[in-house]
Amino acid sequence: MGALGKDRFLEVAAPALDLTGVDGAEVLLMHEWGGLTRFASSEIHQSTASEDTSLRVRVAREGRVGVSATNDCTPGGAYAAAQQARAMAEVATSDPLWPGLAPLADAPRTGIFDEATASCTPEERAETVATLVGRCASGFTAAGAYETRGVEFALANTEGQVCWEPFSQASLTTVMTGGEGGSGFAEVFSSLATDIDADAVGARASDKAVRSQRPADIEAGTYPVVLEPAAVSTIMGFLSYIAFAGRAYVEDRSSLSGKAGRPVAAPGISIWDDGSAAGTLGVGFDFEGVPKRHVDLIREGVFIDAVYDLRTAKQAGRAEGSTGHGLPSPNPEGPFPLNLFMAPGDATVEEMIAATDRGLLITRFHYSNVVNPMDSSITGMTRDGTFMIEHGEVVGPVRNLRFTQSTLGALAAVSMVGRETELASEFFYSASRVPALKVDAFHFSGVSDH
Amino acid sequence: MLDLAQLAVQAARRAGADVADARAGTDESESISVRDEQLEGLERTTSTGLGIRVLVNGRWGFAATARLDEEEVTRTAELAVRIAQAASRLPGDPVSLSPVEPHIATWNGTCEEDPFAVPLGEKTAMLVEATGQMRAVPGVTFAEGFVDLFRRSTSFASSEGAAIEQVITHSGAGLQATAVGDGDVQHRSFPCSFRGHVKQAGWEHVRSLGLVENAERTGREAVELLAAPECPSEVTTVVIDANQVDLQIHESVGHPTELDRVLGMEEAYAGSSWLSPGDGGSVRYASPLVSITADATLPGGLGTFGFDDEGVPAQRVPIIVDGMFQNFMSNRETAPAVGQTSNGTARADGWSHLPLIRMTNVSIEPREGTLEEIIGDTKDGLYLVSNTSWSIDDKRINFQFGCEMAWRIKDGRLTDLYKNPNYTGITPEFWGSCDAVGGPESWVVYGTPNCGKGQPGQVGRVGHGAVPARFHDVQVGVRG
Repeated sequence: MGALGKDRFLEVAAPALDLTGVDGAEVLLMHEWGGLTRFASSEIHQSTASEDTSLRVRVAREGRVGVSATNDCTPGGAYAAAQQARAMAEVATSDPLWPGLAPLADAPRTGIFDEATASCTPEERAETVATLVGRCASGFTAAGAYETRGVEFALANTEGQVCWEPFSQASLTTVMTGGEGGSGFAEVFSSLATDIDADAVGARASDKAVRSQRPADIEAGTYPVVLEPAAVSTIMGFLSYIAFAGRAYVEDRSSLSGKAGRPVAAPGISIWDDGSAAGTLGVGFDFEGVPKRHVDLIREGVFIDAVYDLRTAKQAGRAEGSTGHGLPSPNPEGPFPLNLFMAPGDATVEEMIAATDRGLLITRFHYSNVVNPMDSSITGMTRDGTFMIEHGEVVGPVRNLRFTQSTLGALAAVSMVGRETELASEFFYSASRVPALKVDAFHFSGVSDH
Repeated sequence: MLDLAQLAVQAARRAGADVADARAGTDESESISVRDEQLEGLERTTSTGLGIRVLVNGRWGFAATARLDEEEVTRTAELAVRIAQAASRLPGDPVSLSPVEPHIATWNGTCEEDPFAVPLGEKTAMLVEATGQMRAVPGVTFAEGFVDLFRRSTSFASSEGAAIEQVITHSGAGLQATAVGDGDVQHRSFPCSFRGHVKQAGWEHVRSLGLVENAERTGREAVELLAAPECPSEVTTVVIDANQVDLQIHESVGHPTELDRVLGMEEAYAGSSWLSPGDGGSVRYASPLVSITADATLPGGLGTFGFDDEGVPAQRVPIIVDGMFQNFMSNRETAPAVGQTSNGTARADGWSHLPLIRMTNVSIEPREGTLEEIIGDTKDGLYLVSNTSWSIDDKRINFQFGCEMAWRIKDGRLTDLYKNPNYTGITPEFWGSCDAVGGPESWVVYGTPNCGKGQPGQVGRVGHGAVPARFHDVQVGVRG
């Protein structure tokens, strides 16, 4: 297991890039290796290690495009994929919005690659899990996963663009359950395994689990809420594709279509995407080989713009071109932001709680989904730590609630923003760095039995 | 590939595995997306590799590789053993497997016409024509058509002596018309949402769907939805079409009856279940009209196979009988916890993943009546059609689903059309309110090729036989 390296990637890609009978070709490498130690009932029950490669070849001829992917990561595998892509392009219709392949441009390396993280051993992962499980309170058990992996992305095309960058990821997630209906959650993501503090994650989940026993009944309705960063990351993850996605935005299918320059959130809310910044996960180029740019999405509550790939930029008539948010082709959905940031404020979670007369403290959401993309509403459940706040203090746990709420509506009702941010990962190679928020009105449409 | 799987098993045994099995195989897929008569996505993928699972001192280890030379296979087998040994860092009860006869067999799923051999030009021409007909409807903003093909070839070998080779082929296609205007967007799909109707079948299934024949109607309904009022908020009787009953079964019966969830093995990610291990035969799950079966032998189901990924033969298992919960879906590891042997539902997302309990084809047994008869027998309510959204809590109790369209039912007739309908409920209360289940003539086998579970995340391909059904006192029209 280990990175292929830029030189070997170019050797593998060369026959595909030399393919005749096409106007252009592109080879995208996505290579992952690593392990995951999974635990439940405080036992390690499913541990895995794997290595796999996707070599994705896109060719174009007169605007007709074909894509073929293989995990045969050899020059012969790449060439066979290129031949198949060419055969597919021959029967394709010409795309009037075909933008061509990414031009030559510097894509500075931004990802952090730590060999010790990428090559973390099963014994090391087991030791970390044992540390976490050791923080479980008496009468409770821990479930979760500790994953360490190396990832290598590379792209070369016939325009001369070559990008290559590895990065590493480590994540530790746990839910502790037991006692009388107690359940507590904590997680941490980083580029470095040495940043994973299993003791702290375990202590945090254990504290929540113990405090969430014997949840009280609660009525559905609209409450002020204090959302911890894991809950805020769910809102950000959905905004990524129902609001900030360039194609839906251009086609008037986004909740932000036609709202550039208008206030859509509270003045304390600023959101941007920046895959090249410190404090996120990933690399400095997108899946078309375009350098990722910093894009202001919402600045001090005002919507600025969406994100674009090459094709959507052409569709929108953007002179500036792609913002570097292309996903692997073919991608009829268009671009999404994958490295979101929300600007921190100046409040602590304790201050948010102290400022709440009667409301709820939410640890995280579960199994959320879109209700209506045009008003940015989503639904989902609270989970693993839902508490009632009265007169500025957390007074006890309540049963889990179903929310049905406009995400932009929630951001418009934010009155306090946390001073600390945390990294969370929601979707495909995405990460968002977000603070806690106090939202003055958040709608809960139902209640569960636990 | 069987030789390779057997080589891996031998290597794992030499490295210290008490029990080992291996799956070597290839997944192939083809995906076509057409929008407004233009091809927007044309992709073929191939992935080949080997996964090795071992038990050492009652602990699992699993490792997978895409490099298939003997040296790499041996290294991967040794890594799987090392992973299993590391699992002993924490104390716990050793895994004890329910017995299975080691089968030596070959099994090929139904596929009359190889969909990968059908010329690309023929496939794209069908979608181009269908999207053209949808797009021709005034008010349709854009029209999409999809074809998705999948083939999995697996060679399985175990240290117990099994040697099984299987090939499954899945074919699907569908349409979606979109109407955008006045700050709203509405979709209408055919024959069902999320890229269409997928079955274990060849191209003959796609030919039978009648995409072109139904394109104009699909476009027209999208336009009608854009002009329709919002579905009102009320508590009422609902008649749910078979396609939505399919997802209702998936989320609120299929997942909570997976025994690994019940035993807490998925607690941190997908969640657990409102059921307990001792609930078989003693918990009323639904009204007496409702019987639900997990059947891995069902023709056309995405969860149909000869043997699961532990080498256990396909079975038909009653999950709910006349409203009473009876059996969980299990694998060799979990079945002993309820005093049974595996009922054969262990499946992996290809060679690179560990097998987990996955739904096979979890289907409602038909009773009687057509959709028209059920509607005709309904005095007042709503008819809900085609899924758009789903959400359910970690114990599978509180759910909320969105649909593409709703019709008012008045005195047995469909009257007003509504857009953006959704409904919410509590699993046993909702199923307990069921008072009509459609008959065999309205039974359709649907496919869900995108079921997420496990860490690392796996995508399962499962099936559901479904009919239209009626439920009482349902909260409809949930708004933020």
